[in-house]
Amino acid sequence: MTGIETFGEDVDFIQKASLKMHLSNDAVLRLRAQIASLEGTLADLKTQLQDAEAYYNQITSAKADANGHSQTQPISSYPVPSVNYNEKTFESLVEQLKLPQEDKWGRSWELTSEEHKRYGRQLIIPEIGLTGQLRLKNASVLIVGVGGLGCPAATYLAGAGVGKIGLIDGDTVELSNLHRQLLHTEKWLGLGKVDSAVENLMARNPEIKYITHYYYLDQKLAVETMRKYDLILDCTDRPSTRYLVSDAAVLAGKPMVTASALRTDGQLMVLNNPPKGHDHPGGFCYRCVFPKSPPAETVLSCGEGGILGPVVGVMGVLMAMEALKILSPLPQENEYQYPTEASNDTVPPSLLLYSAYSNPPFRSIKLRGKRKGCPSCSDTATITEESLGSASLDYDAFCASRSPAAPISANRISAKEYSEIRKATGSPHILVDVREKVQFDICHLKGSMNLPYSEISRNPEASIDKLDDTITSDPNIADGVSLYLICRYGNDSQLAANKFKDLSRSRPDAKYDLMGDISGGLRAWRQSVDPNFPEY
Amino acid sequence: MSGKPPSEHFRLLYFASAASFTRKSSDTFPAPLPISDLFSVLEKKYSGITKAVLDSCAVTVNLEYVDVEEESGKEKAGVVIKEGDEVAIIPPVSSG
Repeated sequence: MTGIETFGEDVDFIQKASLKMHLSNDAVLRLRAQIASLEGTLADLKTQLQDAEAYYNQITSAKADANGHSQTQPISSYPVPSVNYNEKTFESLVEQLKLPQEDKWGRSWELTSEEHKRYGRQLIIPEIGLTGQLRLKNASVLIVGVGGLGCPAATYLAGAGVGKIGLIDGDTVELSNLHRQLLHTEKWLGLGKVDSAVENLMARNPEIKYITHYYYLDQKLAVETMRKYDLILDCTDRPSTRYLVSDAAVLAGKPMVTASALRTDGQLMVLNNPPKGHDHPGGFCYRCVFPKSPPAETVLSCGEGGILGPVVGVMGVLMAMEALKILSPLPQENEYQYPTEASNDTVPPSLLLYSAYSNPPFRSIKLRGKRKGCPSCSDTATITEESLGSASLDYDAFCASRSPAAPISANRISAKEYSEIRKATGSPHILVDVREKVQFDICHLKGSMNLPYSEISRNPEASIDKLDDTITSDPNIADGVSLYLICRYGNDSQLAANKFKDLSRSRPDAKYDLMGDISGGLRAWRQSVDPNFPEY
Repeated sequence: MSGKPPSEHFRLLYFASAASFTRKSSDTFPAPLPISDLFSVLEKKYSGITKAVLDSCAVTVNLEYVDVEEESGKEKAGVVIKEGDEVAIIPPVSSG
């Protein structure tokens, strides 16, 4: 919820170069990257044009020779293909579908000849057809978060011809994103994810109107921003934004697709569908399924918990499919499309679980729908546009998503201080690395032993026994040896130190002397002692 | 993870942070068991799981959502887990 840029207004991608730029080195780098890329595209187009002109002139002169005429004038542009469908038939079809050829906003309800080709493979699917394609062309989607979920979702929606796609993200591209965030590439490292995504999407489908929002979703702007779109995709990465997107979508009266992924698990739901309105109670929302946020200390980000690319990828792709189903619903009575069962039934509320290593990997949970007394979507809802706008509703507090302040342990030492202890002769000690084994196996400080915090917290007595055994079995280690703790960032080592301290009362006989933990963990070690220590 | 539980038992599946906490993908427990007793049975086996996982998770019986809090509030005739049922602990996943 930080880093809100002042570009409150939507900025068309085409106009943005002249309208706004960060007056920083980022802008310079981004523009350079974009210019380099566009120059490459321009050079390609020029070559293609030359080839095409040469080919066309060759054909026309050959034709002229054959006819004995002297039509050798070269052309300077592509020939316009003749329209070969029956105008009358098409008009009557449009009439039958009860679609205006141009609506009050001046949007066209026709496809161009290029669009017939571009979308041909999905146009001939009965579930889409001409009606569906026209609906997509005139639809708009807001994608909140352009990461592991947003990238595949945006790619398929742009490919499918959704007329307007808005992208919100205040983040920049990092090397650790590239294994799963398919729209971002190395040349965009350090630059904005939204710009990176738009450039890539433009290369796929330049016919789409891309709207860029260079900030993290802010609760003051959320409802107003969502009103400009038909559908919201929640591709965010933390509990607080999941509740915010859901609440704001309910208030804005927009259906929403939410998905998430961590490690090898994914979840997908379609929420507020149909949207809550004056004449309809609306579908269930995120709070109906998960009324309570998990405790902050148990919530892991992809950086902490890890994520497999295909797991988050499959969830993003599924989001795109749910979006297509919402934006171009199956028509009920349409002679051009066969009716299917699904079109007549309302979709029962469900939660799709993907668990990559389970058997079966997919499970569809039947949900109960709206929760009685839901603060967001029920008749007695207490969450209002005002409470969002005035920030009286505190999402960070609701999710307690600020890092909980770990109780202060008596002894913390810096990485630098610990490196002095390692160097000094005659200072034997034990260093316990409390990261999970899989992380310890990637890299660790020489001589350290692994005792994951998860084990320490689950079974502290056994952990103390394990340490004592290590000390007893090694003749080089004397009883009362100094003990230091380390982890990745310095959080778990502190929690472990506190745990050991608490236990010292019940285990005064322990064979070690807890000296403290290393502040900032292995990250601090890399920053202030050994720059070559791996960063992962 | 799947497979038939032994007789007079039900299978409990752990997803996401529930699997991380228990370090398992599933357990079997004796049936029948009123769903209102499920959390205390789990807390006995995995100390701390109620606060860390169960308080904020969804629970399903045979792929159907069950509101444990609501069931626990009922005087009697709440949902009872039967022999052979598949029960699941589904914590919210919020990353992406």
